[in-house]
Amino acid sequence: MKRILVLALAGTLLCASLAYAGNIGLGAFGGMSVPVLQADQSQGGVYGLRAPVSLTPLFTVEPFYSASTLGDKTENIGGVDYTREGSDVTTFGANLLLSTTGPMRFYPYVGIGSVKFKRSGQDESMTSYNFGLGLGFTPAPKFSLDIRAELQAAAKDQVSRKMGNLTVGASYALFSFN
Amino acid sequence: MKTLSKSLALVALAALAAAGCILTSGQFVATYDLPDATFSTGGTFQGELVDLTTIGEYNDHKDDIARVEDLSLVGDIRNNGNASAQAEVWIVPGATSAPTGVVPGAVKLWGPITVPANSTVNVDWNESASLFVGRQTLIDEIKGDGVFGLYLAAPSVTYDISTSNAALIIVFSAKK
Repeated sequence: MKRILVLALAGTLLCASLAYAGNIGLGAFGGMSVPVLQADQSQGGVYGLRAPVSLTPLFTVEPFYSASTLGDKTENIGGVDYTREGSDVTTFGANLLLSTTGPMRFYPYVGIGSVKFKRSGQDESMTSYNFGLGLGFTPAPKFSLDIRAELQAAAKDQVSRKMGNLTVGASYALFSFN
Repeated sequence: MKTLSKSLALVALAALAAAGCILTSGQFVATYDLPDATFSTGGTFQGELVDLTTIGEYNDHKDDIARVEDLSLVGDIRNNGNASAQAEVWIVPGATSAPTGVVPGAVKLWGPITVPANSTVNVDWNESASLFVGRQTLIDEIKGDGVFGLYLAAPSVTYDISTSNAALIIVFSAKK
């Protein structure tokens, strides 16, 4: 995993050497998180923060933090309902966006990070992989809105817990650099 | 730039590949009903042979189980006595018949939970998940042949306890 991160950083730094006025922004997002093939969790909400660093017109590196509260799951056993609380899921990581240019941008992205699942009887960390598609708009200078759909997989021991995340977000370009 | 784009695409693919077969795995819930039971000081011993292969969800994924995510024993525990009492569950790995007495080599699996005098405690999924103390033994049985023994025990000096609506809930991850 470290090797992949180093390669990703090396690639983006190489891009930064090109003559381009990049920028660093700050954004927030929120939406829904739907467990995929998880019989012990149900749909919940997700929100978080992003810090997009646009290094070239094409590439953006985006450290992020997200927190999800997955919903409870109820099983009927012998006529009695038993409910398991959903996990609180927190993720730290970084995305790499491959973006088109213009006032409306369409971009695929991949990300990697560390994710923690916590509820009674469960407190464990896993490696998070995510990939998805985003659609971005720039309604005003330095300000952008986006809609994203992604699949997040929290992997450990060759299996994973997967969530489909659908979010809307807004970000503002705080600083520019050459 | 084309070379760079290809390199980054390869990095992305490598990241996904590094996760192995993560996209083809899932979490499944298997439940096993346990019979109502009563046990008291000097009274009947309550043992049960659990055969998980009688559960469809377990049988469907038995050969693909990679991890056991969550374990719970749920149900109602009633203390019929006039003093508070504690209840525990012990596991007998590799049992082929229901335990009829305390078994050497048995491992404490769950509890204790304290039940006030003349009261009933409903043990829910969340509380129960944090009361497992012999997780690894049960995980080994689940990933093994799925057949093992369970029995109720009470560390209290005197006790008169009944259980009802009891079940074992197992959440496991399986991959294809």
